[in-house]
Amino acid sequence: MDFKLSEREKTLIDEIARFAKKELPEDFVGTHLIDQEYRDFEFEISMSKKLAQKGWLVMSWPKEYGGQGASLMEQTVYEMEISYWGIPGAWMGISGTQWVGPCLMMFGTEEQRNKYLPLIASGEQDGVWCTGYSEPNAGSDLANLQTRAVRDGDYYIINGQKVWTSKAQHSRWCWLLVRTDPAVTKKHRGLSLFIVDMKSPGVVVNPILNYYGRHHFNEVFFDNVRVPASNLVGEENRGWYHLMQALAFERRSVAPLAYGSSKRLLENLVKYAKDTQREGKSLSQIPAIRHKLAEMAIDVEIVKLFAYQFTWRVSQGAIPVYESSRNKIMGDDVLRRMAISGAEILGVYSQVDPDSKWARLNGAIQGAYLGFPGAMIAAGTAEVERSIIAQFKLGLPKSY
Amino acid sequence: MDFSFTEEQEMLRTMARDFLVTECPKSKVRELDKDEKGYDSQMWRKMAELGWMGLVFPEEYGGTGASFVDLVVLIEEMGRNILPGPFFSTIALCALAILEFGTNEQKSKFLPQIAKGETIWTLALMEPTASYETSEINLSARSDDDYVLEGEKIFVPDAHIANYILVVARTGKGKAPQAGITVFIVDAKSPTLKIEKIPTMAGDRQFQVIFNKVKVSKNDILGVAGEGWEVINFILQRAAVLKCAEISGACQAVLDMTSAYARERVQFDRPIGSFQAVQQKLADMLIDVEAIQYLVYQAACGISEGEPSRLQISVAKAKASEAYEKICIDGITAHGAIGFTFDHDIGLYYRRVKAAEFAAGDVDLHRGKIAAELGL
Repeated sequence: MDFKLSEREKTLIDEIARFAKKELPEDFVGTHLIDQEYRDFEFEISMSKKLAQKGWLVMSWPKEYGGQGASLMEQTVYEMEISYWGIPGAWMGISGTQWVGPCLMMFGTEEQRNKYLPLIASGEQDGVWCTGYSEPNAGSDLANLQTRAVRDGDYYIINGQKVWTSKAQHSRWCWLLVRTDPAVTKKHRGLSLFIVDMKSPGVVVNPILNYYGRHHFNEVFFDNVRVPASNLVGEENRGWYHLMQALAFERRSVAPLAYGSSKRLLENLVKYAKDTQREGKSLSQIPAIRHKLAEMAIDVEIVKLFAYQFTWRVSQGAIPVYESSRNKIMGDDVLRRMAISGAEILGVYSQVDPDSKWARLNGAIQGAYLGFPGAMIAAGTAEVERSIIAQFKLGLPKSY
Repeated sequence: MDFSFTEEQEMLRTMARDFLVTECPKSKVRELDKDEKGYDSQMWRKMAELGWMGLVFPEEYGGTGASFVDLVVLIEEMGRNILPGPFFSTIALCALAILEFGTNEQKSKFLPQIAKGETIWTLALMEPTASYETSEINLSARSDDDYVLEGEKIFVPDAHIANYILVVARTGKGKAPQAGITVFIVDAKSPTLKIEKIPTMAGDRQFQVIFNKVKVSKNDILGVAGEGWEVINFILQRAAVLKCAEISGACQAVLDMTSAYARERVQFDRPIGSFQAVQQKLADMLIDVEAIQYLVYQAACGISEGEPSRLQISVAKAKASEAYEKICIDGITAHGAIGFTFDHDIGLYYRRVKAAEFAAGDVDLHRGKIAAELGL
């Protein structure tokens, strides 16, 4: 057992701190901490470019694809710090750096790698990706998806609808899961992954505003969209298995991101408690507030250890199953605690618009408060994740 | 970063688990519950022969020079199985401090005895105000040439079988409440020392100890006179982590028995473990169990490396104490009525929750310490 960071990892933390202080406005902790929506896409993509120039954007990729060959532990530390400082632009959409690139390296064609990886690695706008999984009748039951791709010579013709497609409005490419064989007995068979150019004729993106008026999600319609057959990723009809790999990549970063942002929120709340006077004493002297902050610190430590343990397992060559669900639940729980207890600490100011001058801590707590229920649903609901733990770790019978 | 145990640690764990399953089945735990001494002296000797008491002592004192993390591994297994007896009070509350603060003479005299299982030790710290605050240490030690102790301690574990008691006394008063506190090594059989049992839910053995002019030689001070709080801090930090290790093992045991039951128990023609409401409960238990484990290992590594983190220790103890209670309650309710019966093992764990929580500081105390570490 050894819980110490290496010298390289510590140096990386220092370098990112210097970068963040130089490149971001002072006190750049806002509502984006939770909902990941920066609103200024030009600024976001300019930061992607700078991260690429620093060699960080795809640091764990091999050098031949524009990376640094960094270890997964370094990648994890990087994600924690990106999230801690709230540095925008690290993911190239939501999926470019995190699972599109790694999956193409695993099961993409040489042509696909050569075409798409440099675009992502360079931080160019043409390297921004969205991901098309969910559909109106395929949420937790994702294998129920109906969007069809039908072979037509050197092309596939795609028809159907995706929903909750994050950042589709900014994306040049879609990582799309579709049905290629409808005549299967088990519905998770007969699925395939495609790369779709979002500029293709027949692709229509409609915004879905969330309950606080932000545009993060979209519905995306595919109306006879012609996609070159060379855009099929991996094997036809084996999309479900490729998806499992993509989700494994996605889920590794859940806990590091939750750790980074919750650590920052905790630090800000501690400072707020010390600096704020009420009834002649500082909030930090009130036992109930001290207890809330202590409870947050406990959760922050746990999510940190879960993040490290998960990365360590992957580094050992394991493919963690239940651990990703554990981390997802813990990450959601820590953000929920930050939001709810944080709002209690802000008191009456917790109700103001996060963008208003009345907002404390740049609206970060309100951002968390408004955003966390969405985060709890994304990438697997708490109910589904707990069932995965029950089934795959505790050996209980399938419940659905 | 490395989350793996060494081969030696894995072997120690397996050995401890096998030994305890054989020597200390739940029938034995129940038997010792009613036993006057509350422990099995034969088992105690065997544990000493296996090298458990001297695990972390250097070889010169009859030990094997193992690390603090190794001790955590061993105590996790004790917690998983439930091992009644004075191991925790002897090792966690006393021996580690003797090793750290004892004079060469004290170490050469006491540690080999402990390693051989010949002596039992305990710590008398808390006074009737029931606080771990330094200001509440009022048992007086007046000095002529030797010292005379007068006062009362409560919740002293295993005092009835102890050979020696580390007694925290006040030898003076300074500006800070921790000034003037001294730790004495006291012969537990002193004629003017009276003990009275405090019956507990856990069935462990805890006592009120009254010191009615108990004489102690000035040579029997552990550490520096007047600076005893340093010793107590040292003890409480390590005891907190080792109690967490015990809790960690206990929580794993409760989770294991509850998930096994959920797989087997059939209602509505299907195992109750197929119901989502039951699954959600068990998944939450698993998350808490793993959280406790990593928090304990992290805090223990800090101690092993000579850099204990007050934050990590208190986070571990606060989380473990709180989660132990929740896991037991969820475990019992998942079992239904059978979990509420005397014959079922799960109750043995639940009845130990409060003792575990208050050992080396409860949830609120450690939340307070965390707040202080956050700079509040």
